[in-house]
Amino acid sequence: MKHPAVLVIAAVVLLPLAVRPAIASEIWIFAIFGLGLNLLLGYTGLLSFGQATFFGSAAYVAGYLLKYYGIAIVTALGVGVGIGALSALLVGYLCVQRSGLYFIMLTFALNQLFYFIAYQWTSITGGEDGMPGIPRPALLGIDFRQPLAYYVLVSALFLLALWVMKRIVESPLGKILQAIRENEVRAEAVGYNVPRFKLLAFVVGGAFSGFAGVLYAMLFGIVPLEAIGFVFSGNVVFATLIGGSGSLYGPIIGSVVFIWLSESMSVMWARWPLLLGVAFVIIVLFFRGGVVEAWSRIWRFSKRAS
Amino acid sequence: MLYALMGLGLALITGILNIPNFAHGALFAVGAYLLVTVVGALGNFWLGLLVAPLGVALLGIAIEYAGIRRLYAAGHDYQLLFTFGLALILNELIIVIWGPVGISHLPPASLRGGVDLGFTFYPKYRLFVMVLAALLVVLTWLFLERTRYGAIMRAGIENKEMVSLLGIDIHRLFTVAFALGAYLAGIAGALTAPIRGLSPGMGVDMLGIAFVVVALGGLGNLLGAIAAGLLIGVAQAVVAAYWTEASTAVIFAVMAAVLLVRPQGMFGIR
Repeated sequence: MKHPAVLVIAAVVLLPLAVRPAIASEIWIFAIFGLGLNLLLGYTGLLSFGQATFFGSAAYVAGYLLKYYGIAIVTALGVGVGIGALSALLVGYLCVQRSGLYFIMLTFALNQLFYFIAYQWTSITGGEDGMPGIPRPALLGIDFRQPLAYYVLVSALFLLALWVMKRIVESPLGKILQAIRENEVRAEAVGYNVPRFKLLAFVVGGAFSGFAGVLYAMLFGIVPLEAIGFVFSGNVVFATLIGGSGSLYGPIIGSVVFIWLSESMSVMWARWPLLLGVAFVIIVLFFRGGVVEAWSRIWRFSKRAS
Repeated sequence: MLYALMGLGLALITGILNIPNFAHGALFAVGAYLLVTVVGALGNFWLGLLVAPLGVALLGIAIEYAGIRRLYAAGHDYQLLFTFGLALILNELIIVIWGPVGISHLPPASLRGGVDLGFTFYPKYRLFVMVLAALLVVLTWLFLERTRYGAIMRAGIENKEMVSLLGIDIHRLFTVAFALGAYLAGIAGALTAPIRGLSPGMGVDMLGIAFVVVALGGLGNLLGAIAAGLLIGVAQAVVAAYWTEASTAVIFAVMAAVLLVRPQGMFGIR
């Protein structure tokens, strides 16, 4: 793994050969979403259980503008980043002063607030039916209604997002966030305003979520109510943890595994969340180190068996 | 009052075990469905009300014993995944066993109809639920305040190491706390069944409310959870009378407003 960036680019090129372009697009969109969470979970040590708040809010607002005002893709993405950051600012302001269990429960409860607003405001969001009919406008004469053309756009934006995130975590800001993760009291003691940096991480993470949310809305042409629901927040935490939250590339591996598994399970059985739940429980009880550790354990076991 | 029951149970679990219990809503739903099944099989509401929460408490003991016990040292992220996975499993099992369509359930014959309170006419069953829930809250409170084991439990919230150093089996304490929390969730679910009917989504809706109640009351503050449960219930009822659509969102809005003024919750010190 000397050049992970090369591996990622190879995966971007090869993935549409393995799965349908729509699923391949979903994987990279989910990876952008995971990158945003990982800045909080992996780098700052904040377990946010409400990332769907920013994802869904951005998807609804940008989707509404795309549908009724016919804005361009670039504008829609800009709106998504803005709404994601703004909603994260609001939620983060209430949450960052608390830590531990309290923080998790607050992010979840505020997620529920946004969910119920979307659920009840049917004239705008369509409530349980979702907000359908979101177009994919053309850009520079390229028709993105072609699934493969849209995949190229999504994967290019994913690589851009990855590059930006790499710059962020390697910047002084990224180091400060890691210092907060390692020892909050000491970070405070050497003069950093810890709540403000946490809030900043929240806003950046929210911007990534919003960016992913708009791409998601354009991919499926609809904003489903689930996009702002807490199960979605849980899924992205899960994907990041199975990939390994400590590294920059963890959420990418995680979303490849997670989306691929859930897409193939959901066509087999309508009650597939049951299997997902069982998978969560088994992984937590037996394979807590993520994919990497599970692999080495299985490898050792098979070696002993032979 | 039901919110106070849910909040109290969750406050016990979060306070003593220090885990985010995302399966609390699912336990609530299981309580409701068990009630309907037992009443269907035995034809007696009172027996159902006795058996269903005990079943949920047993389930709670099994969950704590088989899973959560191994995760105390694992960090909140894995505890969260575990309870979240459990919630998914229980929720899907409910759909598999009882079907995805909501079920309505009538209160027992002796509690149908209303009572004339002089100024208003109130359904008998709701009155019964209020009295029983209040009784349960008081009993739980008395257990925690006035009995030896309750005192140990409160000590467990304050300082776990000290409690186990004093020679108390902290693991059994954790199991008892989880079972008690599960029991309260189960009986809240069972009592809800004849009021709102049953649907697979009922657990998730309740989970959010229970978290709000605990966050409002202040983490580890049991009396605060009871007060917050009452406040949320009243706020929702008042808003529902004027603007039905917003009655769920208002719960979260109240929480946001309170936390803006007092980030540590209404009665929280930490």
